[in-house]
Amino acid sequence: MFKIQVCAERFDTGKELDALSQQRTDIGALASFVGYVRDFNERPDVTALTLEHYPGMTEQQLQAITETAAERWPLLGGTIIHRIGRMEPGDPIVLVAVASAHRQAAFDACNFIMDYLKTRAPFWKKEHTLSGDYWVSSRPSDSQAAQRWDNNND
Amino acid sequence: MSELTHLDAKGQAHMVDVSAKSVTARTASASASITMQAATLKMIVEGRHAKGDVLATARIAGIQAAKRTPDLIPLCHPLMLSKVSVEFEPDTALPGIRVLVTCKLAGQTGVEMEALTGASVAALTLYDMCKAVDKTMLIGDIRVLTKQGGKSGDWVFDAAEAVSAQVVVESSVDQISTRPHERLQVRFFAELREQLKQDELAVDPAELKAAGFTVTVGGLSDWLRQAQPELDAVLDRAGLMVAVNHKMADNQVPVKAGDEVAFFPPVTGG
Repeated sequence: MFKIQVCAERFDTGKELDALSQQRTDIGALASFVGYVRDFNERPDVTALTLEHYPGMTEQQLQAITETAAERWPLLGGTIIHRIGRMEPGDPIVLVAVASAHRQAAFDACNFIMDYLKTRAPFWKKEHTLSGDYWVSSRPSDSQAAQRWDNNND
Repeated sequence: MSELTHLDAKGQAHMVDVSAKSVTARTASASASITMQAATLKMIVEGRHAKGDVLATARIAGIQAAKRTPDLIPLCHPLMLSKVSVEFEPDTALPGIRVLVTCKLAGQTGVEMEALTGASVAALTLYDMCKAVDKTMLIGDIRVLTKQGGKSGDWVFDAAEAVSAQVVVESSVDQISTRPHERLQVRFFAELREQLKQDELAVDPAELKAAGFTVTVGGLSDWLRQAQPELDAVLDRAGLMVAVNHKMADNQVPVKAGDEVAFFPPVTGG
């Protein structure tokens, strides 16, 4: 039900969203999130970033996250595309799109998938700046965001 | 082991009669990989190759090959494939390209031979497109990953099972040594890999046991840290994550020969 793709190529958000809803009359809501490369992060003047992943495990983790989402919300389809390799500020990194009959499930599942992706899917960012390269640190706020979903036993 | 369906009672090859089998939706996916020089991979990814778009060409080749499978594999039924997808995943860790082919149809036989043929020919085409700049490329990892539909039901490739099956085959052929299979593979990612200047090492679980450590993720980590001082500093970091055979694991998870144990820093994707 979910399309999962880890690739170096740039994706076309419009096309991906259209593909999800095309020829469907049961989908009432499609929520999406796109993450982009910023030109500032832990240091200013980020010129590029390189994304590394764990081939095999990354895809498997994304698949497991979508399965958990599908158990919690009545979903009708979805897409996760995460890019790897070198990207520059303004480039899209990740797309998460979720289709459902009603908006609340689509919004919540999209939010949930991003929170889990950021804390459980093996991707690592290395930022290149004018003052040198460094591996991006994980943020406690991301772990807290993911924990919200564990506490809420619905 | 189930019997070979392509052999008849006399042991002669024959094409299986599938007319009584029910029509079900079938899907199979297969992989291949081609390892190359990092410069060759970079050239492909950046689309700078003189022969043109390498991936687009290999994609078409993979699709065409899947459609021609019965012409190549003698006892394979001709099928009306409803979908063939060929995906490429550049992998700087190889370095090289991973090929993933998925074939679908509604029919009476499985489509794994089509997926395998597509993956093989896509990899061969990648070789053909790039051989002028890199003759040392190596094609491998050609295997069925998943199979859905039909009488035998769903099946997913399991690395651990495959490795143990391999040990049985090899030991019956050659009793001398199966040493590589007595080990587990330790992998490091991202900052850990850079700090250690290595991405993997092989460990014999028997050595762990002999040294008095538990044969678990925790025992392995402790043993590595005392055996190699440079690992001590690197593995002693807040939030260190561990996966066993692609699944997140904690210190209590047991490990054994054939396992892949990965250590990595907290993840930062998205």
